[in-house]
Amino acid sequence: MASLRTTSRLFAASRPLFRPASFARTYATVDSNVSETPKMKTFKIYRWNPDTPTEKPTMQSYELDLNKTGPMMLDALIRIKNELDPTLTFRRSCREGICGSCAMNIDGVNTLACLCRIPTETTKESRIYPLPHTYVVKDLVPDLTLFYKQYKSIKPYLQRDTPTADGLENRQSPEDRRKLDGLYECILCACCSTSCPSYWWNQEEYLGPAILLQSYRWLVDSRDEKTAERKAALDNSMSVYRCHTILNCTRTCPKGLNPGRAIAETKKMLAA
Amino acid sequence: MASFARSSLVRQSLAANRSPLLRQNVGVSQVVAFHASARKQILPPLPLNDPVPTPAPHPVEGSYHWTFERAVSVGLIPLTIAPFAAGSLNPVMDAVLCTLLVAHSHVGFQAAIIDYFRPQRVPKFSSFCHWLLRAFTLTTAVGLYEFETNDVGVTEALRRIWNA
Repeated sequence: MASLRTTSRLFAASRPLFRPASFARTYATVDSNVSETPKMKTFKIYRWNPDTPTEKPTMQSYELDLNKTGPMMLDALIRIKNELDPTLTFRRSCREGICGSCAMNIDGVNTLACLCRIPTETTKESRIYPLPHTYVVKDLVPDLTLFYKQYKSIKPYLQRDTPTADGLENRQSPEDRRKLDGLYECILCACCSTSCPSYWWNQEEYLGPAILLQSYRWLVDSRDEKTAERKAALDNSMSVYRCHTILNCTRTCPKGLNPGRAIAETKKMLAA
Repeated sequence: MASFARSSLVRQSLAANRSPLLRQNVGVSQVVAFHASARKQILPPLPLNDPVPTPAPHPVEGSYHWTFERAVSVGLIPLTIAPFAAGSLNPVMDAVLCTLLVAHSHVGFQAAIIDYFRPQRVPKFSSFCHWLLRAFTLTTAVGLYEFETNDVGVTEALRRIWNA
């Protein structure tokens, strides 16, 4: 995944910076002058409809011409929904990897469909599933209720009792601010948590990598005054210590963050 | 969530619309077969927007346990290498090595039991596994003690096997 993305960035950099206006293209338009042979690729997509609960989930195949499809998996999904099968259900919003709605399991990796390039290999099919070990609402839409309830339980907001000296905002040194880099970027797409075997087995009690990364974000915040309470809330057998450093979370994160490191730092803070 | 609400709604409406004629045709065995899986609350209870409960702090199972586990693991590294590197056979070192080995494996297996057999899901089997592990650990400890006091000890045994 990571290597794919890097090459795509390299390609983007090697493109001419300014194009003549006649070639200007906007998002999701199709060049009608394409005269190449069609590059048909098969997409196998998980389907389950709650209106027919007795029918088992199935994999449905769709064929798309890659020459007429945008580069990302989300483009393919939108095109399938628009042109082939309007009953296909999935979440999407920003199409640029900042909302976290289109998290799904594509070719065995949890990622955001909008940040995942369609492999140009047409002989191999692409398989798209909802996030693993989640209750499915419909097709590619997982139920993230528990995930959000767990997020709420770590009190993800600034807790302070003492007002600032000048009564203005809570200031922070650049060094303290730098500690939040790599933590504040998390968009809570649940890719990491649903890739974690420990979270698969024990999600009722184990908080999972995404929530623990957020928890660490508030633990290291220099402006927060409830660090002791936050640490006490984590200091039990299940909340943190079901993490066995499998590091699926770090490997799968579509934003390139490192929840595994955040959990390790949390463990060190708790031990100290 | 929605799917469950919907399925129960569908079931209710089906029950309401069912004619007496149809009801006769549905045998008890068919109904039993339809409800083959156990009814379990698999989703968190309502209301949906409440946070999950925060467990009470328990450092003995949390941070102290983790620190102990790491100390044992780190301590085992020099203790495993030292007797063979130095070539000395110190019974005290042997005893410490055996103690740490037993503690290390006990903690490791304990973590596996906590991971895979949750008390909420299999309460009896979970406690059975914990007691089985305690029995095994005790047996191992007694066996190692016997081996150390009445026989040659772990380090010497390993050396003989290596040189055999």
